Amino acid sequence: MPGKKRAHVPDVQELLEKPWCYYCEREFEDLKMLISHQKAKHFKCSRCNKRLNTAGGLAVHMTQVHKETLEMVENTIQGREGLEVEIFGMEGVPADILHEHQRAIVLEYNAKQMERRIATGNPPPGQGGHVSTKRLKTETSEELKARLAEFKAKNAAAKAAKAAAANGGISAEANAGSPGHISPPPGAQSAFNLPARPTVNALAPTVLPARPPYHYNASVPSATASAISDDIDEMIRMAEAGIKPPQQQSPAPEASTEKKGKKEKHVRMVYGTSDASPEERISTLTAYNFVSVGA
Amino acid sequence: MAPATQFEIAQSPGDALTAVVFAPDDPSRLLVSSWDRKLYMYDVAQGKEEATLVKTFDHRAPVLAVCFGANKDVAFTGGVDRWVKKINLATGEQTVLSEHTAPVRCVVYSPDHSILISASWDCSLHIHHISDDSKPSTPLKIQLPGKAYSLAASPSKVVVAMTARLVHIYDLPTIASVLALSATSNGHSDTDAKADNSGIPTPVVSDIQPWQQRESPLKFLTRAVSCMPNDAGYATSSIEGRVAVEWFEDTPESQARKYAFKCHRQVAPEEEGGGDIVYPVHALAFHPVYGTFASGGGDGTVALWDAEAKRRMRQYQGLPEGVHSLGFSGDGKYLAIGTCPNFEHGMEDYSGVGRTHVFIRELSETEAKGKGSK
Repeated sequence: MPGKKRAHVPDVQELLEKPWCYYCEREFEDLKMLISHQKAKHFKCSRCNKRLNTAGGLAVHMTQVHKETLEMVENTIQGREGLEVEIFGMEGVPADILHEHQRAIVLEYNAKQMERRIATGNPPPGQGGHVSTKRLKTETSEELKARLAEFKAKNAAAKAAKAAAANGGISAEANAGSPGHISPPPGAQSAFNLPARPTVNALAPTVLPARPPYHYNASVPSATASAISDDIDEMIRMAEAGIKPPQQQSPAPEASTEKKGKKEKHVRMVYGTSDASPEERISTLTAYNFVSVGA
Repeated sequence: MAPATQFEIAQSPGDALTAVVFAPDDPSRLLVSSWDRKLYMYDVAQGKEEATLVKTFDHRAPVLAVCFGANKDVAFTGGVDRWVKKINLATGEQTVLSEHTAPVRCVVYSPDHSILISASWDCSLHIHHISDDSKPSTPLKIQLPGKAYSLAASPSKVVVAMTARLVHIYDLPTIASVLALSATSNGHSDTDAKADNSGIPTPVVSDIQPWQQRESPLKFLTRAVSCMPNDAGYATSSIEGRVAVEWFEDTPESQARKYAFKCHRQVAPEEEGGGDIVYPVHALAFHPVYGTFASGGGDGTVALWDAEAKRRMRQYQGLPEGVHSLGFSGDGKYLAIGTCPNFEHGMEDYSGVGRTHVFIRELSETEAKGKGSK
């Protein structure tokens, strides 16, 4: 029980606020680092090493200085090399990709929390310490998730209201019949979906039903799930193909059973019988049994 | 400062052991109870790192519990044969004090009140008044809500740990007064009772209520209990590698001080899936002088803890089998460590033959002394 100071454990909010690079999904401690990373890795001119601020800027630089056309952004993960999206720091990240990233963070966070809870046997924070048995823990995690979703929903509502107010003046632009921020389908809401953050391009006529990508995200790891193309038509086609929210429900129970399995694996008790002591068991063995002679 | 040394007793018990205990008034006398139906008495030579087997006392069935009486020549045992026996170690004379209806798991003697308490899997305690008188007195029987698994006494309290994580604390002065009362009023029935049970007194059921009823703070089966010698509190351990320290005083401040911690665990190798292997904490023993305590686990380690400062002071590793019993000598200079194989799930051929060892550790002056909480 040495009295070491505990390492700071970041909470979800902190993790969600970390800036990350749209092109390579790398996370950074602060925005400045991210911007310098983007300039060095993705917006650097291959001819003269000039670092530009955006992909668009680099394209202009290429045409004007080197009389060449920029085909794609460099060092990106698959599907993100396009020049259509204008990225600067965290600005300009398409809402669906932002959602996907945040969802992955929350999922990972929840999994880690659960793992840690199992490993330490500690109750979830704010539970008072007693009462909760191991069995209860799985339930509390559900509650936790539910609470998280609720919190996010509340946040989303507040932000949407704020954004809507801001959008008021330029509603003509935010046309397309969809009022700026689509409220997520109910199914998605209960699973840990995150609200859109008010980003600059949130003003732009909002990516359609930002939901469809979730469908295949559920089965494909998030990094590769980025087969997301900006092709709106494809999105529409998928939406029409009937990707229903219920399908999202399936990963949740799966995850919970997997965690149960982990719990058993992680703590192996040498003696796990809770209704009889080892001595009682031994005394029933014939070698140690006692038969009363008098009786 | 004397060096800390450890040695093994050459003539170890013939099968797994159940308890090791030093005579409170003589650090050279050690008793070990065993599954091979014998009680072993050793003489631990002072400062010579050896111990010799002096005598063995045969029992009808495996001996599960042993404790010393008022002096080093009186011992009490309990076993699978359901008898609570008084043994005169000098003469070898054995007297049956009472009979339970199931094996007797623990016996504990309170020198301050001359009371012997036995706890059994028949969900009862038997309370005996021990006098120099050779004829056994009528014991009192206290019904418990569960099978008793561990028992420990402090100067004024007795702590019984049972199934379903129940813990009852009895007040010894209360028990002593009830016992004295029943002894005077039952003078006649005493002899009657004896007649119909082949000389073994039948216990009189008493309705002594526990001073406190608690639930163990540990979530698993309680394995061992030990009381602080300063009468302040007690420690319990469970089969799930955890120890809890609690205080008797029932004030919110005292209760807020209680704590529990994990111990006796090993990290499983990655190829076996990682995680922890959790061993039962079989034994707890408080140091009679410093108030620190030792815990022994199925992982074959003994750890010394400072209950006040909440620190581990020492850890002794490399014991060949699980540590099943610990006992400090009355002067706190020696620690007896009894090891034998762990009983695991579904083990039908359990045997401690040839794998049972008793170690004596000579503690240096400051080895078991806590630093205090400040």
